[in-house]
Amino acid sequence: MAVSQNKLVQWIDHRLPVFTFLDHELNEYPTPKNLNYWWNFGSLAGVMLTIMIVTGIFLAMQYDPNVNDAFQSVERIMREVNYGWLIRYIHMNGASFFFIVVYIHLFRGLYYGSYKAPRELLWMLGVVIILLMMMTAFMGYVLPWGQMSFWGATVITNLFGAIPGIGKDIVTWLWGGFAIGNPTLNRFYALHYLLPFVILGVVGLHMVALHQHGSNNPLGIDRKGPQDSVPFHPYYTYKDMLGLSVFLIVFAAFVFYFPNVLGDPQNYIPANPLQTPPEIVPEWYLLPFYAILRAIPNKLLGVCALFASILILFIVPWLDTSKVRSAYFRPVYKWVFWLLVIDAFALGAVGAHRPEGIWIVVGRLGTIYYFLHFLVLMPLIGWFERPLSLPPSISEAVLKKRGGGALAGAAATRAKP
Amino acid sequence: MKPRLVVPALLAGAVIAAAMLAQPAQSARAQAADAGAPPLPDVSWSFEGPFGTFDRAALQRGFQIYSQVCSACHSMNLLTYADLAGPDGLGYTAAEVKAIAAQKQVADIGKDGQPIQRAALPADHFVAPFPNENAARTANNGAVPPDLSDIIKAREGGPRYVYGILTGFREPPKNVTMRSGMNYNLYFPGHQIAMPQPLQDDSAQYADGTKATLPQEAHDVVTFLTWASDPMTEQRKRTGAKVILFLLAMTGVLYGAKRRVWSDVEH
Amino acid sequence: MADSAHSPTADAHATGGTRRDFLVIAGNALLGVGAAVSLWPLVSSMNPARDVLAAGAPIDVDLSGLQPGQQIIVLWRSRPIFITHRMPAELKKLQEPSDTSLLRDPNSEVLQQPPYAANWHRSIKPDYLVLVGICTHLGCIPEFTPQPGGSLGPAWPGGYFCPCHGSKYDLSGRVFNGVPAPYNLPVPPHHFVNDKTVRIGENPPNTAWEFSSIVQI
Repeated sequence: MAVSQNKLVQWIDHRLPVFTFLDHELNEYPTPKNLNYWWNFGSLAGVMLTIMIVTGIFLAMQYDPNVNDAFQSVERIMREVNYGWLIRYIHMNGASFFFIVVYIHLFRGLYYGSYKAPRELLWMLGVVIILLMMMTAFMGYVLPWGQMSFWGATVITNLFGAIPGIGKDIVTWLWGGFAIGNPTLNRFYALHYLLPFVILGVVGLHMVALHQHGSNNPLGIDRKGPQDSVPFHPYYTYKDMLGLSVFLIVFAAFVFYFPNVLGDPQNYIPANPLQTPPEIVPEWYLLPFYAILRAIPNKLLGVCALFASILILFIVPWLDTSKVRSAYFRPVYKWVFWLLVIDAFALGAVGAHRPEGIWIVVGRLGTIYYFLHFLVLMPLIGWFERPLSLPPSISEAVLKKRGGGALAGAAATRAKP
Repeated sequence: MKPRLVVPALLAGAVIAAAMLAQPAQSARAQAADAGAPPLPDVSWSFEGPFGTFDRAALQRGFQIYSQVCSACHSMNLLTYADLAGPDGLGYTAAEVKAIAAQKQVADIGKDGQPIQRAALPADHFVAPFPNENAARTANNGAVPPDLSDIIKAREGGPRYVYGILTGFREPPKNVTMRSGMNYNLYFPGHQIAMPQPLQDDSAQYADGTKATLPQEAHDVVTFLTWASDPMTEQRKRTGAKVILFLLAMTGVLYGAKRRVWSDVEH
Repeated sequence: MADSAHSPTADAHATGGTRRDFLVIAGNALLGVGAAVSLWPLVSSMNPARDVLAAGAPIDVDLSGLQPGQQIIVLWRSRPIFITHRMPAELKKLQEPSDTSLLRDPNSEVLQQPPYAANWHRSIKPDYLVLVGICTHLGCIPEFTPQPGGSLGPAWPGGYFCPCHGSKYDLSGRVFNGVPAPYNLPVPPHHFVNDKTVRIGENPPNTAWEFSSIVQI
């Protein structure tokens, strides 16, 4: 099927089928017609990745990765470079919003069973992306060389010292010196510039895996035929544009009016290796994992728990034994899912507070629940739960929702010229 | 509210609430370290809110306080004298800024290669009171007076905190033993601050005739310091208004477009 | 049953059909405008920043130590500026055919200097020459070669010789015929604050001239 009548387009496409590719993957690509707005967050994540890369490159034109100048070079961007303040605040808040979007995208997957066969690898590639995002964000936070940059880097790199035997050598190797210093800053800069492009590559694989079987949908049942789907363009292109526009309003509110609310004031103090801040706290998107790390009073086991809490996500497709995908039809799991959400927020709050008093208790309970949820509840609920009966197809479920008379109305709609 | 909007609305609310709460959690920690710390003073600022701007007269008075009192110990390395000029600055003219800069001496190398002192130019950064950290420590009882360029952004509570510090010096209560050289301050974490009270009533004589009470001086210098921490504040808020209005309009149009596109499909 | 995945409207949109909707067009237009406007801050950030522009402010140079026949080089806006104290014999030569007949643009007709330096000595005071020391061929810094004759041949009146590709200029910075450089060496805005101090980067009071208007730096 010819993509276009245009001779130039045909000439290029015959030699390098970009236009056929785009037409197939972005235009006519059949997508379930019943996707709700929770499905917007994948494209939002792609937009945020693009925004972060573009603003990052322009910041890199002005930033100086030397410990004597890094802090001042960032402030110079804020004060002297044309629109530097805007590019920096977009990049800074963009990191937070990238994580908000990706966390919602992840929880969407957990709720609707998007990780279940045949989408296991799709899910695992997503977990790889999150891991890469965390590494990128951690290194990026070190670059302004504020107090939190320096001391956060010190604490997190020291974690590797918990590895028996070779731990201390690994830490020295990471630092490139006796402590966090100029060699560390330079290598973090190089890697921080590199990893987003690795993420871009993994996102490409993520999309290939997605397009292999197409998107999941809120009902969790497969498409049975063309009546269950619509072409991606214009239906989901316009829906994604709308979602993007709404998202940008919230993003702009933070960038222009509360640009520092998600950050830590301590990071506006230049790094001082001789003075530890009263609290060392990572950025909010790492707080739940920080809480899990601190919940276990043993250095090595705490580190293991931290890594386990992320790695456990890889095996979710096999931990969940339910035959049914979407929580919509799973009366027990549907509520237990929200327990995990509450747990995530609770662990985040624990991570933000000093480990004393009630926060120790909440942190330990939260950590226990986290692992309980994945290792015990997911398999058990899958086995013992009685799911609701699934509708025969997507289109029939949609028609039923609209009311009985809709069938005639729908036929009339299709018949319109 | 439509049932299917309840969950997104709750989540959005939770995210925003979490963002707002993250900050007070830290100041709660800071204040929990010294139980009984009073809440930060509630002062109104001209620059508060999405449409707030800097009161230029207050900025100039505040700069006067900084120059005459604070700059004896506190550097402001990230600002240049040229930043003071123009509508995004303090409203001084280029000539006024040249004169302000020329009052200070800057180290440089002479024609013969030897170090000299010359009058500062507008392009020079604010001259620091001490050549390096060790000199600052020696002159100040072992403590380094922090650089003030970012002080408002670098402290929990921002303008209210710094205002509190400046107006919060008191006689220590009976049960508190002051360490040598320290001063009691209501709002400083731990209550013992190395800085002696820097401002009193009439610490400066304002060029515009405003009465120089301590609250007035504190208000003016904090206004100046807030500007210094983020000189692009007003441009940022103006641009934000335009961007958000545009996005609201575009959202409305795209909503209509989306509805129109989907009008022929059951969904 | 008809293939209802491709409903008529979808088909029309997919194949760029004739049904166009105002909301859809308006939406696309706003998105396009938004995208274009978002690019501007990025492009603008690459322009010289405020502090870079401020560092390009005029500089004052003290000439009291500059002997006749000598030249000093100072930096203004990261460019080398030649300040040459010319001798009376050299000034006389600049007006003679033995010099001017060798030149491509003896009367400085091409716009490489401010109006107050469009004369045979290409300066305000004949004694002092102020030039931007960048060869108008490919940007090397020409060597100060004031001695007539010598290795450049008996016809050499004294001036500047560029070692990179052999371009030659006289002691007013005027370019010779038959060399790769096309234009005279540029003269920057300058004026004398007093007898012994020249300010580079600022026009004399009550004159306006943009340095960026020259043909070739």
